[in-house]
Amino acid sequence: MARKRGRGMAACWYGIARTAVIDRAAAWVELDDGGSAKVVTGVTEIGEGILTVLAQIAAHEMGVRPEHVVIGDNDTARAPEASHAGASRQTYMIGNAVALASREARKRLVDVMAIVWDVEAETIRTSAGEIWAENTNHHITMGEAVHTAKSRGVVPVGSASFGTDTTGLDPVDGSGRPWQAYVFGAQVAEVEVDTVTGEVQVLGIWAAHDVGRAVNPQGVEGQIEGGIVQALGQGLMEDYKLENGRTSTSGFAKYILPTALDVPRVNSIIIEDPDPIGPLGVKGVGEPAMVPTIPAIMNAIYDAVGVRITALPATPEKVLMAIREKDQLEAHMAAQAAE
Amino acid sequence: MPDLQFKATINGRKISRAAKPHQRLLDFVRDDLNLTGNKEGCGAGECGTCSVFVNGVLMKSCLLPIAKAHNTTIETVEALAKTGELSVLQQAFHKAGASQCGYCIPGMVMAATAALRANPFADREEIKERLGGNICRCTGYQKIFDAVELARDVQNGSLPATVLFEDEVAQGDFIGKNVRRIDTPGKVSGRLKYAGDMTMPGMLHVQVLRSPHPHARIASIDISAAEAMEGVEGVITCADVPGEDGFGVFVNDQPIMARGKVRYVGEAVAAVAAESPLIVKRALAAIKVIYEPLPAVFDPDEALCPGAPILHDYAPDNITKHIPIRVGDVDKGFAESDLVMEETYTTQAIEHAYLEPEAGLAYVDQDGVVTIVSPDQNVTHHRHMLARIIAKPISKVRFIMSPVGGGFGGKEDMIYQGMLALLAMKTQRAVRLVFTREESIISTAKRHPSRTVLRMGLKRDGHIHALQMKMICDGGAYGLSTEGVMRKAAILAAGPYVIPNVRIDTFGIYTNNTPSGAFRSFGALQTAFATESHLDMCAERLGLDPFRIRRINAMRDGAVTHTKARLGSVSLMRSLDALEKASGWESGAPTSRGDRRRDLNRNDIRPPCTLGARFVEAEKPEAAE
Repeated sequence: MARKRGRGMAACWYGIARTAVIDRAAAWVELDDGGSAKVVTGVTEIGEGILTVLAQIAAHEMGVRPEHVVIGDNDTARAPEASHAGASRQTYMIGNAVALASREARKRLVDVMAIVWDVEAETIRTSAGEIWAENTNHHITMGEAVHTAKSRGVVPVGSASFGTDTTGLDPVDGSGRPWQAYVFGAQVAEVEVDTVTGEVQVLGIWAAHDVGRAVNPQGVEGQIEGGIVQALGQGLMEDYKLENGRTSTSGFAKYILPTALDVPRVNSIIIEDPDPIGPLGVKGVGEPAMVPTIPAIMNAIYDAVGVRITALPATPEKVLMAIREKDQLEAHMAAQAAE
Repeated sequence: MPDLQFKATINGRKISRAAKPHQRLLDFVRDDLNLTGNKEGCGAGECGTCSVFVNGVLMKSCLLPIAKAHNTTIETVEALAKTGELSVLQQAFHKAGASQCGYCIPGMVMAATAALRANPFADREEIKERLGGNICRCTGYQKIFDAVELARDVQNGSLPATVLFEDEVAQGDFIGKNVRRIDTPGKVSGRLKYAGDMTMPGMLHVQVLRSPHPHARIASIDISAAEAMEGVEGVITCADVPGEDGFGVFVNDQPIMARGKVRYVGEAVAAVAAESPLIVKRALAAIKVIYEPLPAVFDPDEALCPGAPILHDYAPDNITKHIPIRVGDVDKGFAESDLVMEETYTTQAIEHAYLEPEAGLAYVDQDGVVTIVSPDQNVTHHRHMLARIIAKPISKVRFIMSPVGGGFGGKEDMIYQGMLALLAMKTQRAVRLVFTREESIISTAKRHPSRTVLRMGLKRDGHIHALQMKMICDGGAYGLSTEGVMRKAAILAAGPYVIPNVRIDTFGIYTNNTPSGAFRSFGALQTAFATESHLDMCAERLGLDPFRIRRINAMRDGAVTHTKARLGSVSLMRSLDALEKASGWESGAPTSRGDRRRDLNRNDIRPPCTLGARFVEAEKPEAAE
């Protein structure tokens, strides 16, 4: 058989938010006219879908619809600090800040309506653009409620800051509390290795990742799928080559990236182990999703053809060379045994 | 070359304009017609984000001289949702979650439209082949395939159009639901403007002169000829920095433009703002820099040797950062182990390859606020640094984040925003800089290449008793995020396992290579490759299943980490259990048993791909596209 299959697995852990420093993020929220809402925060949408996640959180917490949430994003002269887009931190840090600010804005509105309706604030419910008091006939739209609040001199706004309880590392033994939220995960890879060309195809990945709480499961899958394919690129083909400080791979003709034809089917398994510290239970997934992929693939290559790749990337040339060396070694040992 | 009176029908409108015959179709539609939906990703026909239809055929507009498109019918991505209503395919991208940063998406939508026009019944494998010329760096492609399949089924009538609608969400419970992304319609239609798509009245064009040397003293820079050229409005070097120069993420060791010496090939030396890109190019060529080459070092191990060239005076040993972690007594731990294995692992530098090359605009507003618009992953920190560098109060510096066409850590460094600010201040006009792909690759951070020596001692029952790891990383010419990468690599190096004796050292080293910096997973990828490969090698020697050896050592609730932090709930065992079940894993020691396994080739993998096999079989004319 020229093509051999194998499987491998690997596990990972990861810390969420900035490492070994105190992280922080803030948000301003307003329940606006017509039952819409405004969220302003120094968030950076880099493609992961954080704006939609924040809209979902604000809608859920205040009782409006996500499509009626307007987000004012990162502008240092217009939005409160929410720090950077990295460290798998935005859902955790900014999501929690938006949740807390949304709760404050909602409370401002509910407190007015409790007086208007003469009910206990705790009996008031808000959901998907409507507000009502339990066991009464009081039931109006959020737009009407905001109008009522404003006519009584109250603009329902809220603001919040979310920070972490973390420390730096000791310079001698490294002890410290770098994060307050950790995630764990593991992946299985199935590969096919062509023993004539050395080419490795990754046919399937099963990826189980704890994200705390998935705000948008499709978005979580998108992060897992994208992370895995970036790791596959580093594992099998990508190589920024330098010679005496000059690169020979300064364009996409020479710097090889995974295309539609290179990617495995990814089967995501989302684990939800809620973070006990933040108000939402969310954690993060952007980076951990790519951590176990490479060793899972390398372990699968070993399973398929018995060669251990310890220097990335596992290009066809490298895999083929390793297979030949292994075959020669085995032939040599067999000859020695026969003597 | 005389101008061409270029005539074509573009998105249903007849146009007739003077154009240079060698002008690329991409530049014509973007710059002359302001149709910026299709993007430039590579300028070399490799990424597909510039894809348009010419007489109905999918073409990469970055490779097409406009003369070749004379008298044709051209459709850009703007043609697909001309009245504002998304096409079925665009709606399917929205529903399936197929767009992330969105920069590749206009080209991807064009390629997918072409695929379904060629074969309305194309199966998933054929769709993949037809999208093979379009690169996406965010999604992993899977949801793009899902979207094209969904659109195919709606278009050919096998599914109702209602499948494209938003899922119903009961009781306002919007957390945990697949709410469609609020930014997707703007991305699939090409309406969203990235920094390189934006213009301002009176805007000047900026380009950067870069170092051809890996290490050299700058004897002199003469900008007088460039400054004297007509149409040149500003030329800057490090001499134009009014404040305290130096940026970085952890150590501010990099000047906005080279100061005194250059430390890597591609480092910025000077920048020009002028009325047109052509004038900028000529002005850059007129800047005279005299370099005196210095001995350079390209290998981190050599950089550590006595007598090696020194990059930065503050770090005479060339060490950017060393992070140690110590638990127990590893020497005693190895002595008490039944199995001790050592191996060396290396990883290479890789490029972020976000589809959007760096771009930005800057201007000084009516209140004297220096304003930078760019796809920037850390505007808060950059505002702070830039204020110091240009000697202004923080309130007079404003960063506005433009839509980020992929980042992955590569846009955390303030690598060009300082030059934009200085040129806006010098010219008092709006300025714009758009990197070429080559410029983006040579001048911005890479993932740290690493060499890791890992030694692990285990008890016969599979318990890891001691772990020692030394990782040397090439940090390149400047610090950027190296310190943080070394720290995260070290903290996570030993994996989520309880190990009584641990000695970890990670080193980031200065060399004259392209700087290394932040890259998604930030050091954990390098160390996990070593630790998780090593665990399988040990499992083979001990006759243990890979899941089993990890469970034996797994941190449980309340575990104490290698930095002596106590954890709360630990979801590792849950993850392993769920993964083993979902993958149908067949238990056994990792003895290279692929040919005996019975858990392979299930229906939840993709078929292997043999390029071109389908088209040889089909021999359809459109297959040649």
